[in-house]
Formats: sequence, C-alpha cells, structure tokens
Amino acid sequence: MSGVRLRDVTVSFDGVTALDDVSLTVEEGEFFTLVGPSGCGKTTTLRAIAGFEQPDAGTVEIRGEVADGPPEERNVGVVFQDYALFPHMSVRENVAYGLRYRDPPGDASPAARVEDLLDLVDMAEMGDREPAALSGGQRQRVALARALAPGPDVLLLDEPLSALDAQLRERLRVVIREIQRDLGITTVYVTHDQTEALAISDRVAVVNGGRVEQVATPETVYREPATRFVAEFVGDNNVLDGTVVSTDPPRVDVGDGPGTATAGNGETVLPVAAVPAEGRAVTASIRPEAFRLGDESAATLSATVSTTEFMGDSYRLHCDWRGHTLLVTAAAARAPTGEVTLGFDPAAVTVLEAQ
Amino acid sequence: MATRAERLALPAGVAATLGVLLVVFYVPVGSVFAQAVLAAGRPTLGPLLAVLSDPFYTGVAHHLVVDPLGVPAGVVDWITAGFPSIRLGLFGFTAYQAALSTVASVLLGLPGAYVLARYEFRGRRLLRSLTIVPFVLPAIMVAVGFVAMFGRTGLLNDLLALVGLGPVSVLYSLEAIVLAHAFYNAPLVTRLVTTAWESVDRRQVESARAMGASPLQAFRDVVVPTLRPALLTAALLTFVFTFLSFPIVLKLGGLELATVEVWVYDRVQALDLTTAAALATLETGLSLGLTYLYLRYEARQRGASGAGQSLARKPLTVGWRTLTSPTRVTVLAYGLVVTVVFVGPLASLLIESVTTPDGTLTTAYYEFLLAQQASEAVGTARPLPAIVNSLVFGAGTLVLAVPMGVVVALVATRGGRGSRLAEALLSAPLAVSGIVVGLGLLQTAVFGTVVFGYRLTAAGPVAVVFAHAAAAYPFVTRNVAPALGGLDPRFREAARALGASRLRALLDVELPLVAAAVLAGAAFAFAISVGEFDSTVLLAEGVDSYTMPVALDRYVGNRSLGPSLGPATAMGTVLLAITGLSFVAIDRLGGRWAP
Repeated sequence: MSGVRLRDVTVSFDGVTALDDVSLTVEEGEFFTLVGPSGCGKTTTLRAIAGFEQPDAGTVEIRGEVADGPPEERNVGVVFQDYALFPHMSVRENVAYGLRYRDPPGDASPAARVEDLLDLVDMAEMGDREPAALSGGQRQRVALARALAPGPDVLLLDEPLSALDAQLRERLRVVIREIQRDLGITTVYVTHDQTEALAISDRVAVVNGGRVEQVATPETVYREPATRFVAEFVGDNNVLDGTVVSTDPPRVDVGDGPGTATAGNGETVLPVAAVPAEGRAVTASIRPEAFRLGDESAATLSATVSTTEFMGDSYRLHCDWRGHTLLVTAAAARAPTGEVTLGFDPAAVTVLEAQ
Repeated sequence: MATRAERLALPAGVAATLGVLLVVFYVPVGSVFAQAVLAAGRPTLGPLLAVLSDPFYTGVAHHLVVDPLGVPAGVVDWITAGFPSIRLGLFGFTAYQAALSTVASVLLGLPGAYVLARYEFRGRRLLRSLTIVPFVLPAIMVAVGFVAMFGRTGLLNDLLALVGLGPVSVLYSLEAIVLAHAFYNAPLVTRLVTTAWESVDRRQVESARAMGASPLQAFRDVVVPTLRPALLTAALLTFVFTFLSFPIVLKLGGLELATVEVWVYDRVQALDLTTAAALATLETGLSLGLTYLYLRYEARQRGASGAGQSLARKPLTVGWRTLTSPTRVTVLAYGLVVTVVFVGPLASLLIESVTTPDGTLTTAYYEFLLAQQASEAVGTARPLPAIVNSLVFGAGTLVLAVPMGVVVALVATRGGRGSRLAEALLSAPLAVSGIVVGLGLLQTAVFGTVVFGYRLTAAGPVAVVFAHAAAAYPFVTRNVAPALGGLDPRFREAARALGASRLRALLDVELPLVAAAVLAGAAFAFAISVGEFDSTVLLAEGVDSYTMPVALDRYVGNRSLGPSLGPATAMGTVLLAITGLSFVAIDRLGGRWAP
C-alpha cells in the first residue's frame, strides 16, 4: 500500500495551470521530497494532498483511500515555513490542539501524548512558553511536534527550514530526518533547496512548470538527470547544447559558444559514452568534479582559468573554453592559473536528446 | 471530524445575516422607494414629479420639469438681467450648505493634517486618535454643545457680558450649521490626509531633492500627488455626510433653514408620507450616486502602499525661539482656533450643566435626570428611562450588529464575488440616511407587513434596535475585516490540518486573534447606537423607546423648562461620558475607521 498517491492531478488558479496532470507515488514510510524553483507547483502539490486545494482533475489517495474531503477529514500533519504556531496559545496548548479533534494513537492519554511529543523534539522544558518567546529553531520543533501529535498518516512539510539561518538549517534537517525514521511516518517534504533535497530524502521529485521532470533517488537524480532541467537545477553542472556528429565512436559537437551548436572543425567535438542517432540535437552535461586537472589518461580539453573561488576543501575554477565557461572543481594545494588541461572520462558526460 | 451542523454553520450565518439585513434595511428602504413610485400597486411618477415641479423643493430647476422648452429663453433672460439671485429650493439649499460645509471642513482640517504629519509635540498621538471622535459623538449632543456655547444664555455671551459686550446671536443661521458641520468633518479631513502624508516615503522626497528640486518643488512633485486623492476622498465624503445631516440642521437651523432631510422628517410628522417618500427617494438617489463616485474613485487609489519611511517630523516648540518662527506662530494660532471650535462646545456643555443662568454652581440638573418625576413635567420624555433605554438598545444592537459585522467581514476577506457583494452591502448604509431607514422601518416593521396572510409587526423598541443595527454593523466589519485579512492564512490551515472544521478554526484560532478588533468594532457599534438620533426620533413612541438623544431633542425645544439649557446639557454630558468611554475603548483596542 502506498502512503500517498496522486493520479493525473491538475490544479489551476484563475485559468493558470499550477499542476499539470501530475502522477506520483510515495511509498509508506518513505521520505519523499518535492524540489524545484519557486512557482513550479511543488507547494501546490503539497496543498492538494493536505486538502487546501481541490484538484480540477485527478485524485489524491492517502493509504489507498481516495481523499477528497476538507483538510480536517484527512489525517495529515502539516508544518509550514513560517511555523503558523497559534500566538494566543502556549507551546503545550499548540501541541495539544490537534488532540481536541483526533484521538492520540495507541492508548496514550492526550496529556501524556503532548509530553511525549515535546520530549521527542527536545522542548519538554518549554511547554508553558508563548511561541513569541521562542527562537526560530524552537518554533520549528514545536510546529513539528504539533503536526505529529495526533499521529497523522502523512507528514507534510512545506519549506520548513527556509526561514532559518544556514547552520541551524543543516542541524534541524538531521533532527527531522531522524524523527521521521524513528516514527516510520510517510513524509512529503517541499523545498527549493536542491542540496537539502539530496541530503534528506529517500527519493526526490524534481518539479518544474507544474510537471514532474524526474522521480528517483538523490544519487540517480544527481548522476543521471533525466532532463536538461534536472541537469541544470540539481547541483553545479556544465550543460552544453550540441549535435551528434558520429555514433561510432560516439561524438558530440558542442560548437563555439553557447547556443551556436554548429558543427565546427572538430575542435569542439567531445567524446562521450553513448549517443542517439547521428545529426540529433542533444545536450551534453558534465559535473565540475568530473574534470581532473592535468590528467591526460582519457579525453582532455585545453582551457584558460578566468576566475578562481576558494571553497575551503577545493577551488572552484571558471574556465574559458571556446566561448563556453566551464565550472571545474579542483582539489589543489594552490590556485591554478593560466592554461590548464582538463581531463575527463567520456562516460561521465551525460547526453540527453533535446526536447 | 466535523459534524454536519458545523459545516453548515457558516453558510447559515451568511444566510441569517442577509435575512436580517433584508428585514432591518433593504425591505424598509425599498418600501420607501415603493411608496414614491407606486400608487395602488401600479407604477407612477406622480409623487416624484410633484416634488420636482414644485419650486419650493427644486427652486429655479423646477422649470426643467414644468416647462423644459422655456429653459433656454429663461437662461438668456437671467443673463441679460445681470445674474439676479435665483431661488435654490430645498434641494439647492441642501447642496449649497453641504458645499459650504465641505469647504469649511477642508479649511479647518487640512492645516491639522500638516501639523500632525510634519511636527512632533507632546500629545500628538492623542490628537491623532482624537480625530476619530466625531464618529462616536452623537450629533444631537454636538448641537446642544453649540447651543450651550453660542446660544443667548450660552458661554460666549456670558463671557462677552463680563466685559460689557453682547449679546451676539450666532445660532439659527447658516454660519452655525456650517461651523457645526466643520466640527464634525474637519477631523475626517485631517485623519485621511494625515494618513496619506505619513505614507509619503521620505526617500522619494530625498531623491527629488538630490535631483535638484527645491523643497517647494519636491512638495509639489512628490507630496501633493499623494495628498490629492485623500483630500478629494475626504471632501466627497464630507459632502455626502453634510448633505444627509439631520440633527445639526434641525437644532441649529430649524425649519427656516431646513434641508431635504429635515423636511422629510417634517413631512413624516405631518403624516404626509407620500411626499416624504418622494423626497427620500430623490435624496437617496443623489447620495447613492455620490457614494458610487466615491467608491469608484477610492478603488482607483488603492494599492498606493506606504512602504518605506515617513518624512521626519520637526519639533513644534523650540523654547522661546518658537515665537520667532512665522510658521510655528501660525501653527499655534491655528491651535487656538481648533481649541475654540472643538473644545468650546464640549466645555460649554459641561459648564452649562453645572451652572444656573446667573452663574452659580448647581447639581439640580443631574438630580433632575435621576428624579422619577411625573411625565407631565417634561412632556413625555422622562430622563431616567431614556438613559436606561439607550443602554438596553445599545446592548441589543451589539447582539445583532457584532455577529452580522463579523460574518460580513468573513465574506469580505474571502475574496472573489463574495467580497464585492460584501463591499456593496457595507456601502449602502453610508448613502442612505437614518431618516429614510427610520421611515422605512416605521412602514414595514411598526405598521406591520403581511407575510403569507399574517401581519407581522415589531414593537417600537425592536424597530429601534433594528435601525441601530443597520447603522452600526458596518463599523464592526470595518474593524474586523482588516484584522482578519491581515491574519496569516496558515493559522487557519494549520488548525484545519489538525482536525478543526472551518467553524472550529474560526472560533479557536481566528476570532481569538482578532478579538481586539471585534471589541473595538463592538465599542463603535455601541457608541453609534447610543448616539443614533435620525431614525430613533421617528421610531420612538412613548416612554418605552425614548433614548437619550431623543430626550435631548425634547429638552432643547421645551420652553416649559425655562431659558436654561440645564437638563439638556446634563443629559448631553451623560451622553458625552458614555461615548467618551467608547472612544477610550476603541482607541485602546486599536480601532479604526476607514470609510
């Protein structure tokens, strides 16, 4: 039985389509993340699951049952970006609120359930505080406890960390992940931050323009992007438009400069692992860390370093190569300058047919 | 899980509110219009034409109805005769006094906006809050205050007599009416323009200056375009309000200086209901048109947000050097005028209520209020029942108006078609005078309406509460809707996701969070009810339904009480105290009034 399933869901606002025929399956107990740029429809998807938006077409199922009622009739827990803690209630009253309308799971009394949840998020001492007296991180943990208290079938988190500073964000996402794994609760997480999505999820759905571009594990999404959008959106990448000039050996000509994609004199031809038919328009992408500085054992490019950024554990180089700017991660002791040789494995180049 | 009843509660609330509005406002007002255009169930233009063709009502314009073809020749004759003065008629005079009152209100109120927006001084915030007071001060009480100040035995003549001058007679003149209207509406001008002035982003002025504009040019190019819509809005509203003004004209003008509103009242008293209805219909048509213009204009102005930092305020007083600054001296002189116009009548009210005509202190007038004397002593208006009635009707108004106002606020903040409907519902009471509502309720509720063969009638007190609720509920909505609209919708959604129905989310989360606004709206509604005169004076019958303002009206006009204004000023002081308390409640709760 799946935790959540969307079948052909379409949602539009005033004639503008926010979700276009989306189908997704979230497994029971899975941590599933919707990631995409702002306005892509990821939050609308979450709101359709919660019952805040009614689909124009398609159905939402929670634990195998069609959910078409109002939010209070779906057993979901929701955590919002800005917490939405009730300011006129104490921390304890906030966490207890859902237990006015739903029985706590198991045999626990409502009062005991509240204390358990406060304990779970490490807020046991703060029960009598007002939300206004809490820090952002504390508020977020209370919001999590409040959503979990009635024992929801699904936990829905809408950008829960984006109002927090970077360090706290990284700490709290580990807390959320650990609690989720301990409870085994089906979780749908929405974020615009692809790093967060990769770090926290069992599976990721990359959403763009109201459509799902790819659903896969974080590793697959990163290493084998299904579309040009996924290749560009997830992680740093070098995405080049080109044309297949030969199938054996497989070769792609990416031309001089972005968008030109003209078959040149061979100077801009990249060796790759596999290609579709000759003459096809494709995009070739290669990760910055796939380049190896000075390694001539496989394919190579000759480029000129234009800007270097020191990243702590490595340098990030912006290299000029035939009108393209290539990003290169170099684990070197000193900042490379001038002419460099960029070695790469042709199998590391992802080739996608242009849509 | 939500029960079925809970899910139906909100639609039921909306339906109930619409039902109550029909009974207390739309059907009564509609019946007045019907009386003007129907005779024995058939449409007729008779009553309307009778009014339009009578020079008493329409003045020189009656030729347009009586002899339209002769109008061009008449205009030529008038021009060749050297523009002799023309007869305005009742409608013309009403518009004329409203225009004068509007000019006076702007002249008196605009400098106030300048002072409040540009100067810092002790008491500035309080003064700014006080500009809301006219909306809670009963007009009949203000009229009594003006009589207490400017009347033959009033404070002004008492003071003049001390220095061997006077007496002067200011009352029962157009000037008195215009001054009292300015008392009422100048604060509105001040309030709206101050808000606009404070919304001017100082960075815009600084940008203009940095690009070479002089202070005056920057004012003209940046500040004036922001102030102009607010000023026009305030002027248009002032015109509508003073066009419909009733107690002030009745008490300070009398029938010699009657406006349409006063004449409708007079016709009702004379039981000439058809003429009253025709007058009311024409008057309401005019004010509805103006209100529509106002709303259209206002809608275009919206969205001019006040983001950014306001202009810095200068200190008003700078020690002795204050007197060397011409602008500051002018501001102080303006302050003196404001003190005389605004504090004068209210202070006179207080002073006259504790002094006899020969100037000795007395508590006799307050004892009179508490004494349960025989009704013959002061006609039929006994004071104590009037006070009790006012408070009871105020409470009754709260029971009706607060839920109605909250429901309309909910509809208004939901957006879409519902919010446009709510806007229309809220604006209608603005354009329909209390006299028209009172007349309508008299015809429908008090005289009774036949529904399915049964004649339904409402007793006078019930009809009074109906009229008060119709007048008061928009104030509840105007306070609650912005608060509800400003609430993060996530609060509601969080509650729904935790299992609360729409109704429970409203009761558990949204209403507690806007409680202050609901209370401020309730304080407004209470003050409106306690001060309401226009419809109450038509609906009040006998001791059961007299209110303080109605009693006040009787006392001012009752010669048997002697030349003293004592009883009226004592009653007025009680009214002032109650409305003053309402103001404090509104101010503390952050109440607002944006029309």
